[in-house]
Amino acid sequence: MSKLLDRLRVRLARYSALKLAVVASLLGLFVGAFVFAGTVAGLAWTNTEPFCISCHSMKDNVYAEYKGTIHDSNRSGVRATCPDCHVPRELGPKLVRKFEASFELWGAMTGKLDTKEKFEKHRYEMAKNEWISMKSTDSRECRNCHSREGMSKELQSEKAQARHAKATEEGKTCIECHFGIAHKEPDGPGPQELFGKQAAP
Amino acid sequence: MMMRSIVLVTSTAAACLALPAQAVDADAAQALAKKSNCMKCHAVSAKKEGPSFKETAAKYKGQADAEQKLTAHITTSPKIKVEGKEETHQDVKSKDSAEIRNLVQWILAQ
Repeated sequence: MSKLLDRLRVRLARYSALKLAVVASLLGLFVGAFVFAGTVAGLAWTNTEPFCISCHSMKDNVYAEYKGTIHDSNRSGVRATCPDCHVPRELGPKLVRKFEASFELWGAMTGKLDTKEKFEKHRYEMAKNEWISMKSTDSRECRNCHSREGMSKELQSEKAQARHAKATEEGKTCIECHFGIAHKEPDGPGPQELFGKQAAP
Repeated sequence: MMMRSIVLVTSTAAACLALPAQAVDADAAQALAKKSNCMKCHAVSAKKEGPSFKETAAKYKGQADAEQKLTAHITTSPKIKVEGKEETHQDVKSKDSAEIRNLVQWILAQ
C-alpha cells in the first residue's frame, strides 16, 4: 500500500500544484454534481404515488380508503396524492420527514403493519401522530393548496361560513374539523378532544 | 288456488319477519352518510360540531322507539342547537326507506 502511494506521489510530482488543484476541483465538482442529482432524483422518486403504494400496508389499507374520496377523484381532476398531504414541500422539513421515514422502513421490514389486524391495532396511534404534526404546523400541507384568504365566502354554505369564521376566531386549524376525510376515522378521541381550545401556533 | 295464496302470504310474512335480522350494510350506510353530508358535523367516535354516532347510539340505547326517533331526526328537518345557535338539521339525501333504515340501524349500532 505504501509503495503504491509512493509511486503516486512520484507521478503527481511531475505536474505543477496549480494543475493538480484544478483537476482535483473539477473532479470534486463532477462527483458532487452526481451526488446532488442522485439526491434530488431520490427525493422526487420517493414522493410519488406509485412509490407510496409499492408497500402493501399502504396500498391495501389507507390507499384503498382514499380511493374515491374528493382528493382522489373530482370534477376537475386535480388530485392530491399521498405526498401532497403527508410530505412537507419546503426542503428543510421535507428532509426531516424523509429522515423520519427511514425508521418506517424498519417497521416495514420487520412487518409491523403487515396484516389488516396489525394495521388496525396501530391506526389510532398513526392518525394521532398526523393530527399532532398537522396541528403544530397549522395544517401546512392542507394550506399548500387551500388558503383561508382564497376561499370565496359567497360560494360556501351559510353553515360553512359560520363554522370557518368561528374557527378563525378560535385559532383552530384545518385538521381539527376536517379529519378522517381521506382515510377511515380511527376509533378514539378526535382532534377536538385532543387539542380542545388550544390555538394554532 | 286458496292453498297457493296461503303459501304466498306466509312466505311474504316470513320474509318480512326475517328483515330485521338482516345484518346492517355498513358500507352502504357510510356511503349514504357521506353523500348526505352527515360527516361534515358528525364523526363515528370523535367529537365534531354535532355529537358522535357513538354518543347518539348511547343516548338511544335500550329505547324501544330509538329507530323511529332517529329516523324522524334525519328526515323532518328539525331545529337543532349548535353551540347555542339554532340551526336546521339537514335531511338525509335519500327517499328510499330501506336505505334510510339501514343508516339509522348502523348509527344505533355504533
